[in-house]
Amino acid sequence: MTLDFLFVVGLAGIITLGLKSSFIEGQTYFTLPSWLVTALEFVPPAVLCSLIVPNIFKGDPGLVQEFGQVAVDPKPIAAILAAVAFFATKRTIPTIVTGMMSLYLVYWLQI
Amino acid sequence: MLPFLPGIVPFGVVAGFTPVSFGFTWIDSWLGSLLMFAGAAQLATYQLINEDASIWIILLTVTAINLRYVLYSASIAPHLADANRLTRLLAGYGLSDQIYPICHSDYRTHEWGLDERVAYYTGGTLLLWVLWQACTLIGAFAGQIIPVFWSLEFIIPLTFLTLALQTLKTMAHRVTAISGALVSFVGLDLPYSLGLILGAISGVCFGVLYQRATR
Repeated sequence: MTLDFLFVVGLAGIITLGLKSSFIEGQTYFTLPSWLVTALEFVPPAVLCSLIVPNIFKGDPGLVQEFGQVAVDPKPIAAILAAVAFFATKRTIPTIVTGMMSLYLVYWLQI
Repeated sequence: MLPFLPGIVPFGVVAGFTPVSFGFTWIDSWLGSLLMFAGAAQLATYQLINEDASIWIILLTVTAINLRYVLYSASIAPHLADANRLTRLLAGYGLSDQIYPICHSDYRTHEWGLDERVAYYTGGTLLLWVLWQACTLIGAFAGQIIPVFWSLEFIIPLTFLTLALQTLKTMAHRVTAISGALVSFVGLDLPYSLGLILGAISGVCFGVLYQRATR
């Protein structure tokens, strides 16, 4: 644990507490404009999808680091199959299990 | 609260496990859980630290992911307005995706006094907090013994994928998600993980514009 790490995680904790407490603490001082309330609704899908992309298209999973490169990157295919599993089941665990199994399978089929 | 608990377990274990798979210690991993008590923000923080993203990108991302809490906070606040400062501070820290919908609906359908409202909030939050911290710790310890070739770090995008797909309630949300992902993809090679921030901002803008255009 370095000082830099503590600083970043500490600040992330303070920001999180600030956002969670914003109205519970400060409701007597301010109200949110309605356009901002509308925009906030779209923040989760926008941020989450932007976060997913680099994870799927950049870097090698541990599997590839350990056993070597293959022609077709297994991550995007595994992500698509996981999304299919989500639409079929609407549940977290089957989605993650399908994604991981697909990752292994698509890699294994190419070696 | 009970129906929510089974869903917490895998997410908590992943949140504890993945930082360790990046090379952080179990204490490092647990620290984020203690300080933030917000799974998606924890995962994003460790992932971006691991990618050497700048501190501004990390903090902007944490802010963006946690912006939904402002809405929760605004909705819960009137019910806890008369509580003392320490109670309100702890209520803020314990605010979660699970306690918010429960209190939001039950506070309106019950004629409770302040003490009952605080007790209801505290009971649910405490249960969730203890389970979350326990799962994070179990995940962090498990992470120290599972070899890297299992690629368990890939659970992060899969978890985010599940969370993202759950938010796609309307066409405007789908437009937001697709445009955010596309811009993030185009900006993959930008420095300081700027593609991530541009993707998030443009996703929100496209979602709002689409909603206005179709209203």
